[in-house]
Amino acid sequence: MILANTESNSSLKSHNTRFNPYDDNGGSIVAIGGDDFVVIASDTRLSTGFSIYSRNQSKLFKLSKKSILGSSGCWCDTLTLTRLLNARMQMYLHEHNKEMNTPALAQMLSTMLYYKRFFPYYVSNILAGIESDGSGWIYSYDPIGNVEKCKFRAGGSSGVLLQPLLDNQIMLSNLQNIDEQPLSLEKAIKIIQDVFTSAAERDIYTGDEIRIMSITADCFKEEKIQMRKD
Amino acid sequence: MFLTRSEYDRGVNTFSPEGRLFQIEYAIEAIKLGSTAIGICTSEGVVLAVEKRITSPLMEATTKEKIVEVDKHIGCAVSGLMADSRTMIDRARIECQNHWFTYDERITVESCAQAVSNLAIQFGDSDDDGAAMSRPFGVAILFAGCDEKGPQLFHMDPSGTSFQYDAKAIGSGSEGAQQSLQESYNRSMTLKEAITLILTILKQVMEEKLNSNNVEVVTVTPDKLFHMFSKEELDQALENVTPLIKDEGEASTSRK
Amino acid sequence: MNFYNSVNFPINFNNHQDISESSDIIKHFHTPITTATSVLGIAFNNGVIISADILGSYGSLARFKNFSRILQANKNTLLGVGGDIADFQYLKELIQGKMIGEECLEDDIPLKPASLLCWLTRVMYNRRSKIDPLWNNILVAGIQDGKPYLGFIDKLGTAVEDKLIATGYGAYIAIPLLRDALEKKPDLNKQEAEELMKKCMEILYYRDARSFNKYELAILTTEGTEFKGPIEIKANWSISNDVCGYE
Repeated sequence: MILANTESNSSLKSHNTRFNPYDDNGGSIVAIGGDDFVVIASDTRLSTGFSIYSRNQSKLFKLSKKSILGSSGCWCDTLTLTRLLNARMQMYLHEHNKEMNTPALAQMLSTMLYYKRFFPYYVSNILAGIESDGSGWIYSYDPIGNVEKCKFRAGGSSGVLLQPLLDNQIMLSNLQNIDEQPLSLEKAIKIIQDVFTSAAERDIYTGDEIRIMSITADCFKEEKIQMRKD
Repeated sequence: MFLTRSEYDRGVNTFSPEGRLFQIEYAIEAIKLGSTAIGICTSEGVVLAVEKRITSPLMEATTKEKIVEVDKHIGCAVSGLMADSRTMIDRARIECQNHWFTYDERITVESCAQAVSNLAIQFGDSDDDGAAMSRPFGVAILFAGCDEKGPQLFHMDPSGTSFQYDAKAIGSGSEGAQQSLQESYNRSMTLKEAITLILTILKQVMEEKLNSNNVEVVTVTPDKLFHMFSKEELDQALENVTPLIKDEGEASTSRK
Repeated sequence: MNFYNSVNFPINFNNHQDISESSDIIKHFHTPITTATSVLGIAFNNGVIISADILGSYGSLARFKNFSRILQANKNTLLGVGGDIADFQYLKELIQGKMIGEECLEDDIPLKPASLLCWLTRVMYNRRSKIDPLWNNILVAGIQDGKPYLGFIDKLGTAVEDKLIATGYGAYIAIPLLRDALEKKPDLNKQEAEELMKKCMEILYYRDARSFNKYELAILTTEGTEFKGPIEIKANWSISNDVCGYE
């Protein structure tokens, strides 16, 4: 864990450069929703430039019994946003005497992001949750609150690398002569492991360890899988 | 009547030595001058009914709105100072839309009632956001709605206290009406029975003769949500009431 | 209880915010002026050790040669700060104000290191959100619920916890050495951690042109705090003549 901040070492040089309030701390998120489960995973590498802040920082935040948020990008914004979210969840509980459900949380997150439209939280958010009928759904966001409800999504530094892989492995696009079967949680976790391994090969901001959280009707599970650490 | 209170009923924020806030109690008294409003909650839905006092034959009866839609699934019946009720209904509507905007779901009836209660107790507070209101609201409200917990009825008074009820009456005829509700209400009654009961009781407590011009009826049901009765529907509903009235014709006159 | 908020600091006099808000021409050009280099921290089996040299540099000028930047916040928390010295002095006042505020409660519940880190993260994030950052890296070291605790915050309000932390050039030079040592022996004792720290400070002195030959060490264990230093590095430059490219 580190700070690679050369500016402070060459103090008189950067007089004309404007302060940049953002940083890209990398990290990837993958989430898959099934008929009766939802699973979300992140890597645990936190970087800045060519150095690694931490090899052990999960980007998953369990917000309620039925929903987990994956948030990566500018880590200081992630920290702030998730703290605010937790506070809002608690306030909702007190005000309405019930835990916020997934669609309500999804909408609230969207409005919270949009409220900072002109100084956005620079984060890629993926919300995974179980809905009232027991099915798993994924809500993915851009930094200013655009939200899309879908069945699977990859985001963060390897998002563009992994999404086509998920399209192929889950939606089974561009495949011929295959018999389609409903996706099981075990299969989803295997796919997640594979795509993260692929991402770690190509993306320097993804690696070290995978953290996987899954929710089904009766249980919440968390597991770790090691990845390459170079 | 209130001779002993003279010292402590000026300021809205001054307790009397017995620990009472007289201005609030007076506000509650003000409700008793208002027209009668009744709400009944059944498992099929909630029904609200109010009497409209048509003080002049030249008055356009339809412009007297005492039951209003707050959201698709919540209706409010008010009694007391109508002008005050506008502010509160405004707040209720804002809270409902704000909840929908932020959470993409219908607000619960309880939360809606609670939000208006918060407004009701803000008299006397002045801070950076604005000056204090000079007095409590002189309004009682019945909130009828259907949410995930099913049909519900809430009552709120000027002190900002709100409670859930199976059946509740407010306004000038509330004492007699509440007594009748207590005698006739049962949890297994149908919505149709509740409509008949509510009109029957309203008929008993109203000074004028009940007809489709001087009453407003609204139902809130899980499928039709907020529904205001048309004149035709009212006439139809009143048909069920008339025979009952006939039976107790003598009784109701003796009550007066 | 806003005791610490009511304290006014001289930094406000040379803060350009008021001017820039009223004028379109002058923008925030907040850059560090007098700076301090790396801070290192290691969490070992029953405590934490942090170290930083005692130099304040004005560009390439070694301006202040006895400038301590390790503080003890309370009995279970140490802080090491790098970056702009003026901002550090402001932060120091702010933290001390916070600590007095905590003490005034007289509840005998000292602020835990993780709580202090969280509070400082908010301070740093709020300033970066005003585009007027405190140009510092803060290392928070302490004992949290009986266990060693080490965390770090940068000028944006990025907060991380780890067993090893190095800021500035230390991130490039000391981290590989520290990670290597910890990989070989994950559970260092106090003496080993101290030796490792001294070695890293020495190597940083050889390589980092903004570092200094005098540094301080602070060790915090469940037994208490130990401050050491200034420790002088007895550098040996005799081989430098033989190093290609340094003549």
